[in-house]
Amino acid sequence: MEYILHLIIFILIYILLAQSLSLAAGYSGLISLAHAGFYGIGAYTTALLSVNYGLPFLITLPLAMLLCGITAIIVSTISLRTVDDYFIIITLGIQVVVFSIMNNWQSLTRGPLGIPGIPALEIFGFQFNDKVSFLFLSLFFVVIVWFLLHNISRSPFGRVLIALSEDEIFTQSLGKNVYKAKIISFTISAMFAAIPGVLYAHYISYIDPTSFTINESIFILSIVIIGGMRNMWKIAGAAAFLVLLPEALRFLGMPNNVAANMRQIIYGAILIFVIFRSGEKLTPVKVSN
Amino acid sequence: MQFIINIFLSFSIYSLLIISFSIIYQSVKFFHFAHAITITLGAYLTLLFSIQLGFSFWFAIPLAIIGAVLISVITELSIYKPLRKIETSSWNMLIASLGLYVILQNLVSLIWGDDTKSIRTWPVKVGNEIWGAYITNVQIITIVVSIVLFIATILFLQYTSLGKQIRAVSSNSELSNIFGISSDRVILWSFIIGSALAAIAGILIALDTDMTPTMGFHIFLYAVVAMIIGGVGNYSGLIGGALLLATAQHLSAYYIDSKWMDATAYIILILFLIWKPLGFSGKRLKKIDI
Repeated sequence: MEYILHLIIFILIYILLAQSLSLAAGYSGLISLAHAGFYGIGAYTTALLSVNYGLPFLITLPLAMLLCGITAIIVSTISLRTVDDYFIIITLGIQVVVFSIMNNWQSLTRGPLGIPGIPALEIFGFQFNDKVSFLFLSLFFVVIVWFLLHNISRSPFGRVLIALSEDEIFTQSLGKNVYKAKIISFTISAMFAAIPGVLYAHYISYIDPTSFTINESIFILSIVIIGGMRNMWKIAGAAAFLVLLPEALRFLGMPNNVAANMRQIIYGAILIFVIFRSGEKLTPVKVSN
Repeated sequence: MQFIINIFLSFSIYSLLIISFSIIYQSVKFFHFAHAITITLGAYLTLLFSIQLGFSFWFAIPLAIIGAVLISVITELSIYKPLRKIETSSWNMLIASLGLYVILQNLVSLIWGDDTKSIRTWPVKVGNEIWGAYITNVQIITIVVSIVLFIATILFLQYTSLGKQIRAVSSNSELSNIFGISSDRVILWSFIIGSALAAIAGILIALDTDMTPTMGFHIFLYAVVAMIIGGVGNYSGLIGGALLLATAQHLSAYYIDSKWMDATAYIILILFLIWKPLGFSGKRLKKIDI
């Protein structure tokens, strides 16, 4: 039972990650490979603040979101000077820079040793130290983020995003500020990515840079692509599927290290399959001149 | 002096990789991520043939190059070509090649394991001394081979018929088709040449610093960064990009720490995007619709 609860919590964390990315990738066409970086910034912010200064969750969460937001604004103002493929390479670069800060700035992040002893989550004296309560807390955040993203995507701003992902120049000609809309959507997406980071850090109580590598970024992006970029329910389904996949492989009797590689091989194959199947249906990033 | 030799060594490897990647990039117009695994495969197949199967070293290297090329040709024919036929956008191709990279890299991990492997059969010895700096024989070979291949490839692109066809398809594939140049055939050739060069680069790197399944990815990203800095399709710009990147990385390794070399590469890229978003050459990064 504990094990199943653990898996559900992980699925919820990945749903949060994938849906936050779907705002940038699905709606405004900003395919980002830096999402694990923002996830990591969230986790490290809360870990450092709560371990070193004993700050409560209700303060570290907004701070983590703020830090992610500021990073995303700086990063996106720069990287949106380029288009489509180059943008993906730049986000990959951001991911590498964030990872190497986590891995190498040892006086701050303790490098590969990671940060142990992150306290359990506490809100107004109530400790979320068992799995059931943590599950409900994660579910609460999933519902909130789901609700917010649902509303954003149906707001006038969301319509601008959809329009620009379909035809950027046309949207611009309607007097919409495409550049600003992209920055805002990228920033909101990064801020939401801080939430699962914070949850993850408090849940596992130990973090190290290996949880926030480029492979993790590719994994999150795969969830979004397999989920069809914009469809919230399908993305949730894809997250559940991909998180449960290695567990299923373990039941088939594969040793752990083989299962880890097999999981990646399978999702790589699914990714190619989805690209083949959908062809033009995935919202493409249009070329701007 | 050691410092200059190190820069020159990185520079020559980067220029070989850039030319191998940009041949493919220019003809297919998307970031072929699986190129990273071609580099790795070059090294691992040499390991397979020379140490595990016991062929002589000089026989193993051509076999490894052929093997790596074969795998990339299979990818081109089985994945990229059908995708081009249904006219997906370039980022879809990029994602497909990323998926392919993930698959192949994990296969390498499954087969050979994640630990560091070596194809050196000779003992490590102190290199030759030149003006107070040390350089090993392998490093001299690396520099010579890289530079010779770099120049040879450029001459090939400029003066041979196939090279001209590759350049024609790079600049406008539809028009080349009209003139009777089959773009599929030319793309296949650019995959063959680019992958062979990448496999050679992989073997040279593995001879110098041994190999892990992810070795290709880092070095590939450096090449991409250098290519963007240099400006796509401009050879002198590419050399400038490789030189700038190598210098910056070794400066940061010298003054700060060698573990920041990854970050330095990308910080350079970001700085370039702020002040000179079009790269050295000033050629536009954006693609032009026809």
